[in-house]
Parts: sequence; structure tokens; C-alpha cells
Amino acid sequence: MADEEEEVEQVWSWGAGTDGQLGTAKLEDEHLPQLLSLTSLASISTLACGGAHVIALTSGGKVLSWGRGSSGQLGHGDILNTLLPKPVSFFDDYVITQAAAGWSHSGFVSDSGCLFTCGNGSFGQLGHGDNMSQTSPAKVSYFVNKSVKMVACGMRHSLVLFAENQVCAFGSGKRGQLGFSSDRTKSVNLPCLVSGLEDVEVVRISANGDHSAAISADGHLFSWGRGFCGGPDIQTPQCLPSSLTFREVALGWNHALLLTADGEVFKLGNTLNDQSEKQQRQADSCEALLEKVSGFDGVKVLQIAAGAEHSAAVTESGDVNTWGWGEHGQLGLGNTNDETNPQLVSQGSKDLHTEEIKVYCGSGFTYTVKRKQGLSSSPTSS
Amino acid sequence: MSYDDVEIEDMEWNEEIQAYTYPCPCGDLFQITKEDLRLGEEIANCPSCSLYITVIYNMEDFQTDTKKKNNEPKSRQPIAVA
Repeated sequence: MADEEEEVEQVWSWGAGTDGQLGTAKLEDEHLPQLLSLTSLASISTLACGGAHVIALTSGGKVLSWGRGSSGQLGHGDILNTLLPKPVSFFDDYVITQAAAGWSHSGFVSDSGCLFTCGNGSFGQLGHGDNMSQTSPAKVSYFVNKSVKMVACGMRHSLVLFAENQVCAFGSGKRGQLGFSSDRTKSVNLPCLVSGLEDVEVVRISANGDHSAAISADGHLFSWGRGFCGGPDIQTPQCLPSSLTFREVALGWNHALLLTADGEVFKLGNTLNDQSEKQQRQADSCEALLEKVSGFDGVKVLQIAAGAEHSAAVTESGDVNTWGWGEHGQLGLGNTNDETNPQLVSQGSKDLHTEEIKVYCGSGFTYTVKRKQGLSSSPTSS
Repeated sequence: MSYDDVEIEDMEWNEEIQAYTYPCPCGDLFQITKEDLRLGEEIANCPSCSLYITVIYNMEDFQTDTKKKNNEPKSRQPIAVA
């Protein structure tokens, strides 16, 4: 018989599983959503999914991580893969409010506004002033007393949103993803302010692949880094000319998903399944065009997520949709096909009135966290 | 079709598998050995999926003795263990 805790929350995973990132205790791809039967996951408030690792924050601000650990990105003090969620004991005396998972590094923000990083530091993406890797989280001294709000981790770079809506970047800048130089900055290992956002009230930042993006309080999208659709790299933040009001941005390695205040989804660039289209555009050297993602039939989208080459969205009716590259089953549709348009993912029965669903994408995998509303903030600790 | 064109200087030397690597969107790594490069191979495959990248490099850099200084792979990054 299921107890109260298990009914409150479900965590599902699917897609590439080669490094244990699915939390299934196996090293296999899964083409259909797998329900994780792990009591340690009972109070997950949010997930961050990277190249092949996952970071989970509990409602009490504790941290669990699993998947590939070969660069120390799990923060367990070693360079081992972990097939099941494991507490990051370094944070036992901290409350972590937000985390980000890059290709092989991780960032954590504490309730006191401090930033911690661990994992691969070869490109300076940990921000400690050297190119060392760290197997345990280490506080980034630049941000001490700077009230960090949010961290975002890309393939080899990091972005940080801190006091008074300022944005810093560090790590590899070869494709312009650091956003502070018109030259090709190879890499920096200390945080530097991103140019051109000084007068912008940034509320969200996002990084993936060699892309960077920010959303302003008034709903504008700024992006920089690798060009979409084979276009030129963008060295400093550019505001997307559009009359739409954007609420969220999710970046892949060659595309960006945008969610408007009205619950519509748009995209820039293309995922792998649209390569022929991409090649065509490359030949025409067109600049990336904003395109509406069709297939939601007027149903509002509440949340979006992007893997390296796939996309996911949750609608107001509680449906999870996926599309894009599917070779590893990351679309969760029971096969390895690519999909151009959003497809409904089946995860057992759904109860429209009691569930809140969030979707998260790592490079080649996908997670959902389903929660019964109103019961999730139980203060009971195990 | 090649997923991307990547310069050799953007690839990382992986001591464990003795190959230059670059992130694959599936989560695994595109890989090419020094021997491949010496022979003029320019395709780096991913062992987990159908994707591959084209490696941009100067073949002459890999023709001579691999011990020679400018052929030395980027050294493995030291890892601090707490």
C-alpha cells in the first residue's frame, strides 16, 4: 500500500541513460517514462539536468545529485558516476535555493546569496580564478556579499544574476557566449560583467551549449553566443526585435524555446530533426527567424524545457509534450523517432485537479516531477 | 551528415580513453585518436549514437613523433579533491 509521501510526488525519467542520469540504477536508454520508486525523492522541489548528470533540490534546500561524475560535477568529493540520487553532504549546513547543471560542471545558489561551483574547470567555468576542477562545491569568492539570485551553466561557461539585476559570465567565450567583448575572448576564469545589460532589469538567465540568454522584467529576450541556424556568433547581448512579451527561455545547443506571457511557444533555430531545413538556411545565410511552435491547439503552455536537440512543454491541461531529436528515446514516446511537432507523452493516469507537473531536459534525457498541489509543502522531515 | 565542425583546439584530450573528445548532444563524447588524426581521418564518432563531427586540424601536426612538444595533448586538468 502506498503511503502518503509517495502519493504526493512522482519523479519520471526517460532518454539517454549511459551514465546513470535516469536514476533507474541502470545504464540503459529508456524510450518510455520510468517512474522512479525512490523514497529519497519524496520532497523534490526542483531539478537541474546537465550533459549526463542531475541535481535535485529538496523543499528544505538540501541537494541530491546523480549521473556522470567524472569531472566532479556531482559534488560528492570524488570523480565517480552515481546511479542513484545521493545527498551532497557539503550542503548539510546550507539551504540551497537554485542550482544549474552544465555539460560537466554545476552551480548552486544558497539562501544567503552565495554561489558555489564544482566539476570541470578547464575553461574557467567555475569562476575561481584558475582552471582547476573541483570535486566538492567551492564558494566563488567574487560573489561574497553580492546576493546572487540565479546561476545558469552551459557547455563550458556560466552566467550569474546577482544584486541589482547585474549579469556576470565566465568560462569559455569562443563563440561570444560571455557577452563582454567584441573580440573572440577565448576564456576567462573570473566573473566579468556582461556588456549592454546595464540598464536592463534582468529577471531570468539561461545557458546551454554555447548559447546565453536573459529575459527582462518587461518581457524582452536578449541573447548572445553561437549564432542560430548557422548565422554569425553574437558577441554581446542583442534584444530580439518582437512585440511579444516573453516569460521564459529554454536553450538547446542549436535552438531556443520561448514562452510568451500568453502561454504560446516560439522557437529560434532548429533541432537535429530539422537539419535539412537548417542546411537550407545556412546556404541562404538567413538570420534566425522567430517561429511559432504549432500543435498546442489553443491550449496554453505553462512551462518549457530544452535538451541539446529536443524540446518539452507542459500545458495548462497537465499534458507533457515533447518534440525534436529522439534517437535515445528522449521524447518518451516508446520509440527512437524524431518529431517535428509536439507529441503527447503518456505517464499513466492523470488527475487534472490535483497535479502540478514540471518538465526538465538534460542533453539527451528528460524528467518530469508530478506533484499534488496543496500537499507538497509538508514540513515533515525524514 | 556531420553534426558540427569542430577545431582540434576545442577538443579535450581524454587520458582514460586516449582520444580527443568533444561533447555529443546525446550526453556521450565524440572521439578521435591521435592515430586516426595521423592517418588523416577527420570524422570523430560518438560510441552511443549515429552522430559524428568533422574535426578541423592540420594533418602535419600529427605526422611526426607524438612525443614532440607541439603534439603533446593539452595536459589533463588537475582535480582538487576535498
